[in-house]
Amino acid sequence: MEGKVIVITSGKGGVGKTTATSSIGAALALEGKRVAIVDMDIGLRNLDVVMGLENRIVFNIVDVVQGKCKISQAAIRDRRIENLFLIPASQSDNKDVLTTSGVERVAKQLRKEFDYVIMDSPAGIEKGFENSIVGANEALVICTPDVSAVRDADRVIGLLYSRSLTPKLIVNRIEPARVERGEMLSHEDVLDVLSIDLAGLVPMDEHVLISSNTGTPLVLQNDSKAGQAFKRIARRLNGEADLPIEAPNHKTSMWNKISKTFGFKK
Amino acid sequence: MINFDSSAPVKLKGVGDGFWITIDPSCPENILKSEIDKLFKNLKHLAINSSVVIDVKGAKGRDDLIDNIKSYLIKTFEVAKVSKPAEKRSIPTERIRQRDLSKGWNQHRSDVLMLRGRVRSGQKIEAGKHIVITGDVNPGSEISAGGDVIVLGRLAGKVHAGCPNDETAIIFALEFKPTQVRIGGIVAAGIDEEISAKPEYACVEDDGIIVKDYMKANPFRKMPWPEAI
Repeated sequence: MEGKVIVITSGKGGVGKTTATSSIGAALALEGKRVAIVDMDIGLRNLDVVMGLENRIVFNIVDVVQGKCKISQAAIRDRRIENLFLIPASQSDNKDVLTTSGVERVAKQLRKEFDYVIMDSPAGIEKGFENSIVGANEALVICTPDVSAVRDADRVIGLLYSRSLTPKLIVNRIEPARVERGEMLSHEDVLDVLSIDLAGLVPMDEHVLISSNTGTPLVLQNDSKAGQAFKRIARRLNGEADLPIEAPNHKTSMWNKISKTFGFKK
Repeated sequence: MINFDSSAPVKLKGVGDGFWITIDPSCPENILKSEIDKLFKNLKHLAINSSVVIDVKGAKGRDDLIDNIKSYLIKTFEVAKVSKPAEKRSIPTERIRQRDLSKGWNQHRSDVLMLRGRVRSGQKIEAGKHIVITGDVNPGSEISAGGDVIVLGRLAGKVHAGCPNDETAIIFALEFKPTQVRIGGIVAAGIDEEISAKPEYACVEDDGIIVKDYMKANPFRKMPWPEAI
C-alpha cells in the first residue's frame, strides 16, 4: 500500500511548522510507521538542527529532485527513533532550483518507500509553498491564536482548497491563562473564522525551545504538554480519528481562586 | 427589408389600425419633416384618416416638436389622430405586477450573484450587480458589487457596493464588522469596537456612510410590492 504525503503549512512564519513537523513525524514513527520528514524550506533549512541531525547531512532534497542521488542516500536515519528519516533542505540554493514536476515525481517515489511523508513547507505562499504542496495528499495548517496568524492561515486554506486539498487545523501555542484573561484568542475564536476540521490543540510549552536547541525530540519527553499534544495529533492522523480533542486548560490554584473571589491583587 | 436598428432619424412601422413613427429628437425639425414627408408619400391613401403615434424615444420636453409635426401631418396627409405613446413607466409596472401576481417569475433571469460558503482572506469577489453571500466573509477578503451586498453571516472583509458610482446601494450583514466599506465613491473605515451581533446595513446619507439597525430602519419596508431583481 502506498503511503501518505502530508504537508504542514501556515502562511505566516514562526508559528511552529518545523516543531510540528518533527514532533508529528517522530510520534508517527513511535507508533511503528516508517516516516520520512522532508524539509522544503530550501535555503533556510532548520529541521535538521531541530532534530539534531545537522552534522550527518551529505545529500539533500535538491540533489534528490535533480537526480544526483537516490532517496536512500539523502534520507538520514534518526539516532533515537527507529523508522524515522529526515531528508534535509539545501542551505546553499534558493527555492527556484526545484520544479513542481520534479517534486511531484519524488513525492510519488517517497510514497512507495514510506508510510508517511511529512513535508515542512516554508513560510509564504510563493514558489516554495507551491513546491511543498504539489505532491501532498493531505494538509495540516498550523496557526497560533493571534489575528495575523489567523489571517495568513485563512489565505493558505483558500489556496489549498483551490488545489483540492482539504486541510485540517492545528492551533499551536495556546496559553489558557491568557485566554481566560481575554488577552488571547481562544481556539473557538480561531475555528470560528477558519471553520475547518481540527486536528489538535497544542498548548504553549517551554520544553519546545529547549528541545529545539538541544535537538532532542519533544515527543520523547513525557512531561512536555506540547509533546503529548503532538503525540495525540499523530494518533489521530494514524487512524484513531475519534481520539477526543482536549482543550488545554488552565489550572487555577486555590489561592488564585480565593484572591479572585475577594478581589485581592497579586 | 426593414432594418429596425437603423439609425435613420425617422422610422415608420404599422401598428394595429395606424402607424408608429419613431423620431430622433436630436435632429433638426426640417430634416425630420422632410423624412416624414418621404415616408408618408409612399403610404399614399393609407395615411388618410389613420391614427399616428409619435415616439420621441422617451425624450422629455419636446411637446412643441410633437405638436408641430402633428399639425403638419394633419394638414398635409389628412391623418385623423396624432398622439404620443402611452406613459412608458406604466407599462412595465403593470407587467411586473401581473407577473408577480401570477407568480410567473419562474422565467426571471437574475443578475444577482449568489454565493454559498465562506469567503477567505485573499479572495476577491467581483460582480456587476448585487451580491448575496450566505456564509461568512473573513477579514482580508474583498467584495466588489455594482449593486447591493447582502451577507447572511459575519461580514469582516473589505466591501465596495455600488461600484463605481451608485450611491443608492446598501451593504447588509447579520454581523456587520467590515474593515472598510465603500458605497459608490464614498469610503469609510470599519469600526473596531465590539458590538453585539445584530443585523445592520450601511447606506449613504448626506455624503457620508452611516450604519443602521436593520430591524429598526429596514430600507425595503417602504416598498409596496415585491420586485424581482
